[in-house]
Amino acid sequence: MKGPAALTLTLLLAGATHASSPALHLEPLDTGPATGLADSAALRATIFGTPPQEMASLPESVPLEEIDIAMPWARPVPEVFWFDRRLRVWFSAQDKPAPLAIVISGIGSDGNTSLLSTLRAALYGAGYHVLTMPSPTFPGFIVAASSTGVAGDLLQDDRDLYAAMQQILTHLPRQVQITDVDVLGYSLGGANAAVVKSIDAVEGKLNIHRAIMINPPVSLFTSVARLDKLFAVSIGSGDAGVERLYKRLYTRLANLYRMSDKVRTDDNDLLAAAAVVLKTDADFSAAIAFTFRIALMNMFFAGDLYAGTGVVIDPKHPPRVNDSLEETARTLRDKPFSEYFTQVFAPFYLAHRVNSTPESLKADNNLAIIAVPLRKNPDYYAQTNSDDVILDKSELAWLQSTLGDRIAVYDHGGHLGNLGERRQIADMLEMLSGHWNDPGR
Amino acid sequence: MRAAVCTCWAALALSACASQNLTIRRLPAETPAADNAAAVKNAAVLAAAAAGASREIAKQNTKQAVIPLTTADAPSMYSYDPWERVNRFTYRFNARFDEAVFLPVAYGYGRLPAPIRSGVHNFFDNLTDVQSTINYALQLHPMAGVRTLGRFLINSTLGIGGLFDVAAKLNLESAPTGLSATMSRWGMHPGPYLVLPFYGPSTLRDAVGLFGDFGISYAVDIAQLYRGNKTWLLGTVNAIDQRSSASFRYYSTGSPFEYETVRFLYVHKELIEDDARHAKDRQKQRDTTPSGQ
Repeated sequence: MKGPAALTLTLLLAGATHASSPALHLEPLDTGPATGLADSAALRATIFGTPPQEMASLPESVPLEEIDIAMPWARPVPEVFWFDRRLRVWFSAQDKPAPLAIVISGIGSDGNTSLLSTLRAALYGAGYHVLTMPSPTFPGFIVAASSTGVAGDLLQDDRDLYAAMQQILTHLPRQVQITDVDVLGYSLGGANAAVVKSIDAVEGKLNIHRAIMINPPVSLFTSVARLDKLFAVSIGSGDAGVERLYKRLYTRLANLYRMSDKVRTDDNDLLAAAAVVLKTDADFSAAIAFTFRIALMNMFFAGDLYAGTGVVIDPKHPPRVNDSLEETARTLRDKPFSEYFTQVFAPFYLAHRVNSTPESLKADNNLAIIAVPLRKNPDYYAQTNSDDVILDKSELAWLQSTLGDRIAVYDHGGHLGNLGERRQIADMLEMLSGHWNDPGR
Repeated sequence: MRAAVCTCWAALALSACASQNLTIRRLPAETPAADNAAAVKNAAVLAAAAAGASREIAKQNTKQAVIPLTTADAPSMYSYDPWERVNRFTYRFNARFDEAVFLPVAYGYGRLPAPIRSGVHNFFDNLTDVQSTINYALQLHPMAGVRTLGRFLINSTLGIGGLFDVAAKLNLESAPTGLSATMSRWGMHPGPYLVLPFYGPSTLRDAVGLFGDFGISYAVDIAQLYRGNKTWLLGTVNAIDQRSSASFRYYSTGSPFEYETVRFLYVHKELIEDDARHAKDRQKQRDTTPSGQ
């Protein structure tokens, strides 16, 4: 089945389709991340992830159920999103009473990514029921569970996420016995997890015990601005930039196959090829920036459609199910997050939130909104890396001073490049069990 | 057979009308330990392959056999899709069929013991070697043809009718080819993008190749497997086996641009394969052929 085989590569190539000029030199941006954006090792780790030989020990078998559930508050489903009517989440149940770990995905991602699969395995192996959920910025969530359709607002997204969690938990099979509830998330999902816990502290519907943020952003918009800048530097603006990069990658892949003995290109070959054609820091930067841009394109499209802001979608004539979206995709590919903010996000939230200003909207999308519980409540934890490309030094310092001894900062791993690694998993499980700060640990 | 077809359509119709608010579907269990062990092994194989590739490139450079492509040779990033509206309809139909019929059956099949599934998989792979042998001959690649024929003979006998891939253990790895590759060998462009009902993304050339390959199998008719009702049964089992081993889910990207993304990947993967094939056949470079226009 050639088609589906090619499709499993969608996300991989979405990231790898646009390699850049090897000659391009990246300057560290602004104040720079903890060890600078041009840190080769961090970029490499971010792209390739944890090497399999350094993975924590994982269980032999993990049962898995896929749950499709409609949210009672869902808005009417636009025709082009017909396949996203119900929210899809994944659940692994223990056959005995056990604590539940709810894990939230990173920006724009669904609830069954390979990173979630790793976390699911580690948590299930440690005796947890595991529920993995998409990011509130994933189109499937925006359509099925968002109350606004305009994603990216930390508090609003987490209210929707919290409501969705309640719906899901009431519909779990009766024999599942939950003794405690913890939330975790990686990347933006980390920030989501912490905010959901703070909402629960007020509403008390789920009695969430502990929250762990894995490689979270501090200021969503600052992190995203870094990725926008990375795109501008490594890919350039305009369609020509993307086309140029496509041609470079095509040429590299084609030449690789012309040299190789095998004409066949199956999944593994292409994976290997992608690894071979991404060589320089500029390539890695372009792949990271483009992966993020893909996520943004979906958010932008959905937001524009729901808010009726008319940037790429005529609100009076929204696209029909058989219409080509090639030109829309082409336009959106060139739009950074700053345009999403000024053209969709801000107009929508300024109209719906009394006394808000663009500045207040930006300030609200920061972990600082829960600084007090983060500082005082011993049940919030974080894991990050000193070379995480989405944080700068001041943000890392803020996390450290706010969480005190409840944060683990590893020397290396870039953004999520050590997720699943032995020490990361061991620390995560100790944090979840509350033994992270035990003396003599 | 008619009953089975009717059931499929009924299930489809039902799923289309279904307005269920909750569905819980049990998936085959994940096997993280084994997956990671396989990844460790693959990493080693990849490292060896990368070393081999650099040696090969060095060798090629000394022989000057292949002139590297430049970015000017890369085809347009836009895919030729004149039948887009019909294709989109078919893509949606396939997605619904997959959810309602194909996938549940494939998941059920996935719960059978692994040795049974690998036997079934090998059996169909072995039958594919027949059409591959003939296509290698048509491509004027006699050595590859002989190797594939050798695989077929070894696996059909020592491998007990193809249930075991003994040949792979003797370093005769599977290298299937088909009529689409043969047409590409003789200079035919992939043509327009085409989504085939049930099957999925394709191009006009691939679709013609698919039917042609079935024609070859039908003409050769190994062990009279391609005549009568058992053809339908075998075809169905083959389809289920293939679906079961593909991890793809329709619309798992959640994205409104999934159709465009899939089309881009499919068409350009095919163009890369063509470029590689033509370089190997040392034909004149395909630098002036308009692609994807």
